[in-house]
Amino acid sequence: MKTTKTIFQEGSHKWVAIVRDPQRPNYLIDTNEYLVTHGDQGILLDPGGAEVFPAVFSALSAEFDPSALTAIFASHQDPDICSSLALWLEFNPQMRCYISWLWSSFIPHFGGTAETFVPIPDEGMDISLAGLPLQALPAHYLHSSGNFNLYDKVAKILFSGDVGAALLPAGQDGLFVEDFDKHIRHAEGFHRRWMGSNEAKRRWCERVSQLDIDLLCPQHGAIYRGADVQRFINWFDGLQVGIVKA
Amino acid sequence: MTTALTVAAKPGAGADLLRIVRINEEIKKVVGVAFKINIMALNAIFLAKRAGTAALGFGVLSNELRVFSQDLRTCMTSLTALIHGCVNEVSVVLQDIRYTRLLRAAATLAPDSAAASVLRQREQANEAHAQQLASLRRQLKRALEDAFQMVELGGVLAKSAKIEAAYGQSFAGSLAQVSGEFDGIVEEIRTSLESLRRSAFFTGR
Repeated sequence: MKTTKTIFQEGSHKWVAIVRDPQRPNYLIDTNEYLVTHGDQGILLDPGGAEVFPAVFSALSAEFDPSALTAIFASHQDPDICSSLALWLEFNPQMRCYISWLWSSFIPHFGGTAETFVPIPDEGMDISLAGLPLQALPAHYLHSSGNFNLYDKVAKILFSGDVGAALLPAGQDGLFVEDFDKHIRHAEGFHRRWMGSNEAKRRWCERVSQLDIDLLCPQHGAIYRGADVQRFINWFDGLQVGIVKA
Repeated sequence: MTTALTVAAKPGAGADLLRIVRINEEIKKVVGVAFKINIMALNAIFLAKRAGTAALGFGVLSNELRVFSQDLRTCMTSLTALIHGCVNEVSVVLQDIRYTRLLRAAATLAPDSAAASVLRQREQANEAHAQQLASLRRQLKRALEDAFQMVELGGVLAKSAKIEAAYGQSFAGSLAQVSGEFDGIVEEIRTSLESLRRSAFFTGR
């Protein structure tokens, strides 16, 4: 079973990280899921693959009624992002799934109906969670061609999807980045290979530098906090991406 | 009663899919052969007409063979529809098994959550799918039996045509050749249907 860690709380407004499953088979990439709650509603960010559903579900249930999840935010179309969609919909068939318009006819292969999907336009959109304003921010080509981050300006948290992800070795699985220089070595190869466009990367760095961010939460690896957020943006800005040694 | 527990425990759904795919391939072959029979029956009718009074008996039989070939095609069309239904339902059962396994694991890890009630709903849906598959399996078995009976009749007609061919005087050689080909084709279909009847999809072995 995964562990839940509350990384922000102010009344009913909460961010819960669902992380690290000791029973996870090592052929499945480790993923972080995030639950955002406000009032009596909840949105699950990148709910994960079907095979990790039991672990995510059970951890989430300890914090929140899964049938009260009103939406899923899928940063992009990969199976580790939302192949569990059909299982979540069993708990609330009215649940909505926010996804780039680019993938809104691909993702239904994982489940859902025409009513399930809310296509996000390329420029992004505002999403309200019981009155809490959330913003879907464009992060196209990082790595998917239709890719979004989710920003909560009240909590000052940016869910960055695959941006900032690190493939951590066994035993180095802390929730937060503690030593940036050590940590970033595990992120470098991932970013060079998975991120396809230096131009898209530069635009993303410019865009997020203007945001007030306390926590930058990726879908794999550890969370950047405080000064490490800007440190990561600067590091990413200087990195040459879209490279493969072949 | 087949619950999700028993459905999930069945290792056979994947094997059933494979079996049903093989049955489908065999039926496609039979459909192709049935089409050939139709053409052959037409040729036999023309030949009997040319032979005139020397092949009156053969003419009657060739007409019957033509009716047989048309009935066989109709029968194969309904078999094909049933097979498609079975393939679809076995696929649904396979998906049920995966979802049930994951929901059961969730219910075990979070026993006080809504997972238990969702699992029960899933089990009811599984039960409906399992019953639908069982019903299709029975229908398919019956349709195969009907096809087999029909082919037995076709075999008798072909053998009678072979006998009648002997009375065809100067046309005896041509009539014997046509009726012999007919008999061979019917035998081929019978062998195919016989192997389908023995499929583990029906016998459960």
